[in-house]
Amino acid sequence: MTTLASPSRGTSLWQRWRFHLSALVMIVPIAFTPAFFHENAFFDGRKGLGEREIGEIAVGPWSVRLAEFKVVEPDAEGRAGYAKEFALALCPACVDQVKAAYLRVGKPRNIRTMGALFSGTPYRQTAEMRIPDRTTADDVLWLTLEGWDGALHQATIPIRTASPVTAAWLARRRS
Amino acid sequence: MNARSRCVAALLVALGAVPLFAGSASAHPPFCICKMADATTVRCEGGFADGTGVPGVRLDVIRYDETVALETKFGADSTVSFKRPQGEFYVLFDAGPGQSFDVDYKDIQ
Repeated sequence: MTTLASPSRGTSLWQRWRFHLSALVMIVPIAFTPAFFHENAFFDGRKGLGEREIGEIAVGPWSVRLAEFKVVEPDAEGRAGYAKEFALALCPACVDQVKAAYLRVGKPRNIRTMGALFSGTPYRQTAEMRIPDRTTADDVLWLTLEGWDGALHQATIPIRTASPVTAAWLARRRS
Repeated sequence: MNARSRCVAALLVALGAVPLFAGSASAHPPFCICKMADATTVRCEGGFADGTGVPGVRLDVIRYDETVALETKFGADSTVSFKRPQGEFYVLFDAGPGQSFDVDYKDIQ
């Protein structure tokens, strides 16, 4: 007569709970589904230009709609410091005239230092703008548009207007 | 399908869903860190946030009146050293439109 060995405690628990565990593994992704569809709609533009629209900004003969891509503090970019992402849409009439858009903190020194270059379609493009160490909440962003004819037009936006969350973050860092 | 197979299949479904909830890809901005190597020499290190080096990429030292004091390039180790110019100037690491990084002389200690 042979005697069956009794299963270990771990094996016993596994045998008892494995079905429930498999059900849990199926349910967890379902719980995240609404967030997934929200993010999906946000990234393809169905939720607007960005999480917080700054408004219409006149830049010389042109205008753009500018938005904070996400209402979050600047991202740490390792040795490159901190950066903040903005989104921009060209006015319908200037889509064919504007070659490039740039954004930076402070006045550009020259044409080679105009800042982060927006990339994407004319209707929704994004740029990750560097936040230099010296930046304060009272500083100003400079938006530069470059036309296909070589013309440059600029506008300024206070950081407090462009991104209150970034201004608060800067004020906190300085204190 | 037995219980073990069901469990493995569920796990694979869950793991497959992970990328759907991952964050968006981010850009890799440039950086240029300049420090005084000794009393007269400035040493700059350039690169991109993802760790990419910049050997051979242009670096200019420009006076406030926009005259170029020095045109040079990063070496194989993505660093470059030069004699500190007199007066007010800035260092410009220029890897192309939207990929430049300027360092003011006041920030070079």
